Amino acid sequence: MDGNKPVTNMTDVGKRPAARRGVFSRRLSGILEPYYYVSPAVVLIVAVMLMPLILGLSYAFRDIRILNPFSGGFVGLAHFQALAHDSAFLGALINTAWWTFGSLAFQFSLGLVLALLLNRQFLGRRLIQALVFLPWAVPTFLSGLNWAWMFNPVVGPLPHWLTSLGLMDTPFNILSDPDLAMWGPIIANIWFGIPFFAITLLAALQSIPGELYEAASIDGATTRQKFISITIPFLAPTIAITLMLRTIWIANFADLIVVMTKGGPADSTQIVASYIFTQAFRRLDFGYASAIAAVLLVLLLAYALGVIALRRAMTHADS
Amino acid sequence: MASIEITNARKSYGAVDVLHGIDLDIQDGEFIVLVGPSGCGKSTLLRMIAGLEEITSGDIAIGGNVVNDLDPKDRDIAMVFQSYALYPHMTVAQNMGYALTLRKTAREKVSAAIDNVAGILGLNALLQRRPKALSGGQRQRVAMGRAIVRQPQAFLFDEPLSNLDARLREQMRTEIRKLHRRLGATSVYVTHDQIEAMTMADRIVAMYDGIVQQVGTPLEIYDRPANIFVASFIGSPAMNFLSGTCQITAQGCALILDDGTSIPFLAPPNVSNGQKLTLGARPEHIDIVGNGSAPSVPATVDLIEPMGLSTLVHVTLAGKPVKIFTLARPDLAIDSTIEIAFNMDKTHIFDSETELRLPRANEPFAAETA
Repeated sequence: MDGNKPVTNMTDVGKRPAARRGVFSRRLSGILEPYYYVSPAVVLIVAVMLMPLILGLSYAFRDIRILNPFSGGFVGLAHFQALAHDSAFLGALINTAWWTFGSLAFQFSLGLVLALLLNRQFLGRRLIQALVFLPWAVPTFLSGLNWAWMFNPVVGPLPHWLTSLGLMDTPFNILSDPDLAMWGPIIANIWFGIPFFAITLLAALQSIPGELYEAASIDGATTRQKFISITIPFLAPTIAITLMLRTIWIANFADLIVVMTKGGPADSTQIVASYIFTQAFRRLDFGYASAIAAVLLVLLLAYALGVIALRRAMTHADS
Repeated sequence: MASIEITNARKSYGAVDVLHGIDLDIQDGEFIVLVGPSGCGKSTLLRMIAGLEEITSGDIAIGGNVVNDLDPKDRDIAMVFQSYALYPHMTVAQNMGYALTLRKTAREKVSAAIDNVAGILGLNALLQRRPKALSGGQRQRVAMGRAIVRQPQAFLFDEPLSNLDARLREQMRTEIRKLHRRLGATSVYVTHDQIEAMTMADRIVAMYDGIVQQVGTPLEIYDRPANIFVASFIGSPAMNFLSGTCQITAQGCALILDDGTSIPFLAPPNVSNGQKLTLGARPEHIDIVGNGSAPSVPATVDLIEPMGLSTLVHVTLAGKPVKIFTLARPDLAIDSTIEIAFNMDKTHIFDSETELRLPRANEPFAAETA
């Protein structure tokens, strides 16, 4: 210790130590010091995340059409007013709900069944577990093309099988039927999304201590009762978070639709995400596309906040 | 309550035999402790009684009914697990009442049963808590409560105290014992801790390598161990073993150690000159004696462990470590040579080949062996 230097005692808390009083630059650098350390991360986040977001949102209030050299001006809320009366957009909203919850319900329920099956002991389990993951590894563009061909009666087997089973009168392409077309991409999406649920739920299942099931069998629980009182409560947190994440991902996920139907026929498979794509890259109206994207962003944010609030309410009721 | 009869029970996993034919009769209301080192098959046997493991061959009967093919829930037994296996999403009350609820018992009866047992175990204030909000000892109590509420034919305990700290373990030991006296329930208790076995059991079943080595009351097992394994496993500090060759002279028998040291002993019948024998002496049956008092042997002091009540003296005799337990506080110098004497009435003689104890002629051989 430096004997000449006054020491800040506990009793001096709140008073400024005499030696430091007035040394303004030193105090300032003391205050700023922590910010220097976080600045690289802040700069990175601003540059990579915030700037594009703000820029993209700003387009929603401007008239940006690639083919019109005189565009670029500020138009205020005009895009949003147009959106409110855009029947294609309203149709896309309804389609988005169908697409999202239709895919999600089957992805989740089939993924859960698959996870429960994979959680049993059987020969070749590791191999099957690896194979189950495959659809997830196939590029979506490829799987979209693949499924489009499978639904095509000229090259694909599906319509012929459905006819043989008596589900179709004559083999035809459901992707060209406005009433049925949405089921094409949904089926492709279910195939693509099952592994995600199967793998995450399997991981959660494997974390359940086996002794709980043993205790329950001694207590007299049947398989169904064990599932309800042990498996489901253990899976609940995983189910909640994966359902929320997947809802947002699927709602934003236009790849399969763009590849398989391009939103057609007659906009019957147009979801908001593919409508944005169509507006931006086919009509080249970036301003309008940005306005739609902004609306989608707000809707998904509201959804996520709702789910988080619900989850918090449930865990609070829990403890 | 019921008796449990196990007849020639075997268990194999593929080609690996885990239990080699277990025979055991457990009386109604008896507290039986299965004790042995890890991997001796004691937990497997308990799980076979519970119905969590299949019986490869042989029979297990509870209350006179063979239960080999019954599901755990139809055997009317309760089990306390090492990890307690409490349902984390249920409150203490729900955990305790789960089995009754599953049997569609009337709600008032369930809550009356829970209140009654909670009173016995001192859990009344915790009934609405979840397991994660409980301490280890409280969880242990809830696990016991869950078993008691059902009033089963038999209680099975699978190392229920091994997750508790030493002080709590001691406390729960006496508590379980008192509870057993109060409920009079047939209990099978698995542990690797020989102190738990000694203090809690009506009868101890010592197991090793899938075979029952000895069945008997704690003192029978302590005083008349059937073989070297039981003698070494039961008792703390552990029994001392010295192996050598038997020498019979006109003065009596002596064990000649490798370095020529001669320890006299009371010969069991049928020992022969030159037979390989092992002498077993518990630390409290060896005395430190003054010079000249025969028959004593010299030993070198290695270490002195004072424990307050008693002192444990580690010495080396003929190159072998030997522990001596004494209530005195001897003033000994490390590396000094002292004279020690074996209490001949209490030392045991084992055949080094078969490892079986050779009982003396004048001693009642009451211990059951397998």
